[in-house]
Amino acid sequence: MSYDFHSISIEVVEDNLPMLELAKSLLLTFGVGNVITARDGEEGFRKFCESNPDIVLVDWMMKPMDGISLTRLIRTHVSSPNQYVPVILMTGFSQKRRVIQARDSGVTEFLVKPFNARDLYRRIYQIIERPRQFVRSEDFFGPDRRRTRRDDYQGPFRREGDFMNPETARFRLEERRQAQTKAEEILTNAGLKKGDKFDESLLSYGPDDIDMV
Amino acid sequence: MIDHYNQKPRRKAEFIRPPNTLKRKVGSGGLSEELLNKAEALLENNAVDFRPLGEMYLEGLKRGIDAARAASDKADPEELIAGMLYPGMQLKANGGMFHYPLVTSLADHLIQFLEVIAEPDAHAVEIVEGFHTTIRAVILGQVKGDGGRYGAELVTALEDACYRYFEKYPENIEASRNAP
Repeated sequence: MSYDFHSISIEVVEDNLPMLELAKSLLLTFGVGNVITARDGEEGFRKFCESNPDIVLVDWMMKPMDGISLTRLIRTHVSSPNQYVPVILMTGFSQKRRVIQARDSGVTEFLVKPFNARDLYRRIYQIIERPRQFVRSEDFFGPDRRRTRRDDYQGPFRREGDFMNPETARFRLEERRQAQTKAEEILTNAGLKKGDKFDESLLSYGPDDIDMV
Repeated sequence: MIDHYNQKPRRKAEFIRPPNTLKRKVGSGGLSEELLNKAEALLENNAVDFRPLGEMYLEGLKRGIDAARAASDKADPEELIAGMLYPGMQLKANGGMFHYPLVTSLADHLIQFLEVIAEPDAHAVEIVEGFHTTIRAVILGQVKGDGGRYGAELVTALEDACYRYFEKYPENIEASRNAP
């Protein structure tokens, strides 16, 4: 069994006509049923509102409206038919600060030009198989800038909201329980009760023997 | 430790998991190797003539160079750099898509240079002009592919020019200005 792209539509927004045609041909070769094209951000947003595609593939540098501004419109404009649509940004930039800039505008995936067919396919695959959850905060709305949590992830989560996550809560509680047990063990070995003044010389082991929890 | 307690309270964030309608529509199993190879072949065999496009971006780069040369002290350096950076980025992005990977490689070095400098001083602009001349020669000479030994020498020569510049003018490196 393999993907069937016949029933999906992808919008490509690119001002460079040969590049636009090339991207369209690639998507049609993948079997995409409907490829919508636009030559800049303004036309791109108009067509996005009209046709509500499943994925948007957009170039960064365009005039009068670039790909970053188009992404912001898609994510925040009242007329946007789908604020959660995956957006793949194509660009020649690969510097970290540029990736961060794109990410902060609400882009889902970043595709560095020049790319090959497998590069494009990998981005689409990620969108389908590992979709990002969305985050709404005071100053950001867009895909979570971290990839969706893997089920095998064992570590703590850092966001305040993550504490609502049962796995995180369990991890923190276990962490606290272990710390409590270790503290009690130290007190017992030193012959102390809760509230007694701690005297290091009473310890039968040194600091190196204590595991930091 | 004190810094820890002086931190601003963390922002509250709401997490939303939209339904994966795309997955429902396309099913599973990925695309076959055969189909991906067909798509790769389509890219490799595209007959687009990159020269007119390349010339257009080179003209843009030249305009950026001229603007940087003619600029007064009051001009915004970031804007002047952007005037050269954006056409450079287009050359990098499109060269490799249309059989000119050497253009991509050269333009990539140009972008890295422009991303690092703080101001487009006369010496920096001279280096950008060197890139412009070299890329133009590659496009006009229709040097497709990586250019072999000749291509590698061109890249190394321009790379060396950038390193010499950084050694001579370390104060014009953006990161060194922002360092505490």
